[in-house]
Amino acid sequence: MSPTGFPWPIEAARLDNGLRVVVSEDRTAPVVAVNLWYDVGSRHEPDGQTGFAHLFEHLMFEGSVHVPKTEHMRLIQGSGGSLNATTNPDRTNYFETVPAEHLELALWLEADRMGGLVPALTQETLDNQRDVVKNERRQRYENVPYGDAWLRLLPLLYPPGHPYHHATIGSMADLNAADLATFQAFHTTYYAPNNAVLSVVGDAPAADVFALADKYFGGVPPRDDIPPAPDGTRPAPVTAPVRETVTAEVPAPRIYLAHRTYPFGSREYDAVTVLATALGNGRGSRLYQRLADGARLAQPDYVSAYGVDLAHAPAPLIVSATARDGVDAAALEAGLAEVVDELADGITAEELDRAKALLATAWWRQVSTVAGRADALSRYATQFGDPARAGERLPAWQAVTLDEVTAVAAEALRPETRVTLSYLPEENA
Amino acid sequence: MTLISERPGPGAARPYRFPEVIRREGVVAAHLPGQALAVAVLLLDAGAGREPAGREGVGAVVAKALEEGTATRDSAAYALALEGLGAELFTTVDWDSFRVGVQAPAERLPDAVALLAEAVRTPRLDPADVARVRDDEVTALRMDWAEPGPRADAALRADLFGADQRHGRPLHGDPDSVTAVSVDDVVDFHRGWLGQPGTLLVAGDLDRVDIDALGAAVFAGTGAPVADAGGPFPVTPRPERRIILVDRPGSVQSTLRLGHAAPHRSHPDYVPMALAATVLGGAFTSRLNHLIREVRGYTYGIRSEFGQSRRFGRFVVSSAVQTAVTAPALVDTVGEIARTQADGVTEEELAVARSWRAGQLSVELQTSGAIAGALAPLVVRGLPADYPAPRPAALPAAAVDRVSKAAPDHLRAGALTLVVEGDAEKIHSDLAAADLGPVVTV
Repeated sequence: MSPTGFPWPIEAARLDNGLRVVVSEDRTAPVVAVNLWYDVGSRHEPDGQTGFAHLFEHLMFEGSVHVPKTEHMRLIQGSGGSLNATTNPDRTNYFETVPAEHLELALWLEADRMGGLVPALTQETLDNQRDVVKNERRQRYENVPYGDAWLRLLPLLYPPGHPYHHATIGSMADLNAADLATFQAFHTTYYAPNNAVLSVVGDAPAADVFALADKYFGGVPPRDDIPPAPDGTRPAPVTAPVRETVTAEVPAPRIYLAHRTYPFGSREYDAVTVLATALGNGRGSRLYQRLADGARLAQPDYVSAYGVDLAHAPAPLIVSATARDGVDAAALEAGLAEVVDELADGITAEELDRAKALLATAWWRQVSTVAGRADALSRYATQFGDPARAGERLPAWQAVTLDEVTAVAAEALRPETRVTLSYLPEENA
Repeated sequence: MTLISERPGPGAARPYRFPEVIRREGVVAAHLPGQALAVAVLLLDAGAGREPAGREGVGAVVAKALEEGTATRDSAAYALALEGLGAELFTTVDWDSFRVGVQAPAERLPDAVALLAEAVRTPRLDPADVARVRDDEVTALRMDWAEPGPRADAALRADLFGADQRHGRPLHGDPDSVTAVSVDDVVDFHRGWLGQPGTLLVAGDLDRVDIDALGAAVFAGTGAPVADAGGPFPVTPRPERRIILVDRPGSVQSTLRLGHAAPHRSHPDYVPMALAATVLGGAFTSRLNHLIREVRGYTYGIRSEFGQSRRFGRFVVSSAVQTAVTAPALVDTVGEIARTQADGVTEEELAVARSWRAGQLSVELQTSGAIAGALAPLVVRGLPADYPAPRPAALPAAAVDRVSKAAPDHLRAGALTLVVEGDAEKIHSDLAAADLGPVVTV
């Protein structure tokens, strides 16, 4: 058992304006990762403004007060760096990995868009990026078979008004209605230094990073009245199973079973993570052995079970299988439900060890890059108040017991709290 | 509010150094001190180029069948043994190679490699299992081909190279060719190609991994190396540009695959070609993404590259655009390719492309998996034992005139095949009126 999943140094400081700065030095390669988590995600979006946090993420690449439009990408890529950003229900993050000599450039760019985006934001930029995001929605969700499953599962899992009720990509209608003033206000409200964590990992000494962070971010004023997202920690209990059936142009029937479990970071959610791995990860998993190999109901490449690591409400566990040729949706659903229901009787010690071994490899893979480490530090500082807690996750998984797995399966996977989403090919309608 | 207005310059450059590479009796290894995970990949000269006509995809079926039990244990026992180490077998078939690898905590790599060797060298290949794996692979391909992209790419490939050529057919075959694969085809492919010694690529903390022991495990009882696949194919461009329309009724986007034939990977112009394609469409700030995404808003993204292997290559542009703007997006895209071909690149654009690609080496090569992947070209391209490990040495030397010359030499806007997979009813007349070339519907 590893005593920690993060055997690198961690140093943290807080600037006067509230920006938390986390540094983990590693001179193995001459590269450095810069990662900013802003504590704003789609859970903050009110009705009628779905998709705004993510569309805003796009606007952050379109120039700021000292950075002309298109320059941000050009400067990072022109220095040899990789960059991107992602938005999810919980948070928005921005990150780049650059050759170490360009650290200061990356910090300057991040500070400029934290403190100086609004004056550079134009209607033309908004209109262009709105079109880009609508194309992203078409490409990722609308134009691929089963692509809208996530968009359908969320409102089935979480009641109206819950911060996870709607998907981060938002609705086309809301995106169309987005106006410039709303986005200016969005930045002013949420993109404050005291609502962010800056992590820097790699070939840079902590003292240098703290000094540079103060130089570039120190002048950005804090905001003292950042409105919290609606509280979703205690959604109304699920009292009856929910199902939705979609007939669409898909190549085979597919079933999704979903449950609300526990928030990411809780002891119970660690057990859910181990359980999901035992259930759906690899050829030795229950789903593979029982449905793909054993009963031959499911296509071997398309069985899965995973938790979505969300921290501000009970996080979803999603189990899925796709029918083999000649197997109908009802038979697949019955087989899938049977495997999930049996988890309440527990798993074997061998299954537990297999799951833990796979999770250990997955953990070390994630932290094998400076970018992966920076993201972990930002996450734990933002969501749990202490970047060093990144080291706890792997030992926590390894400490999960058979009884704990049984307990969460019995409590969280009850059939009466299940969401079932079925896709049927059109010709079967 | 005070922000620093002046952009900082770079600090002192710290050069990237590829890890120390050790070559010994069939093993090529990179030493990564302190890395928790180690990787071993058995690389065999048994890529898609070795597959018989009409059986495209047999390699992928073989790859899957390797895990259906071995001479000494059944498939469930094999899966538990391997996954109990935290490892999973990953297999890749590309044009030039067949690769089987494992990644595991360094201490567990020897056990994982022994299991890898067991699967590759002594698979059970029970006829009933092989037939089931084949059927599953057909279904998986049907799933894949239901998404936009594979049909467009197959149409492009056939048009560039001819469907009678192996490289004119899809890399992993199509549902029909895999349906035609028999149990004997699978057994024959395994016997013919997976008994060669091959090369074992290792990346990890070599203080904790005994590479000689790994080599002994995978090379025990192997046969002779296989004969060379042959030299590069000649590059034969089409006489004129044309549009191939692949109907996808109801599609809300049109998937674009534009391309033409190009030289193979070891061509002397490789570096200037790669840089020209980067300026045109290889990075976010490139000409194509700037115009089609950032100015027009037609797409979520567009990119261009030269895709090259040992015996052939092609230039290809990939994107997905909103249905209503399919024709103008094509006109703009062909326009940018033609402009780059005619005028080459600017010094400023080239500087960005060069630094980006050079920097990417150090940024991307951090994990044992990435390092193992970077060792593969040394073997596939048959580079000598003392060839320096991958490094961006050639990039800084690629001057603007050389890159600008590679553009007219290797870009052919007038000979492009423009494959459009979209709703034919909605876009056909626009495409026909766009004056880009004749439209063929398939």
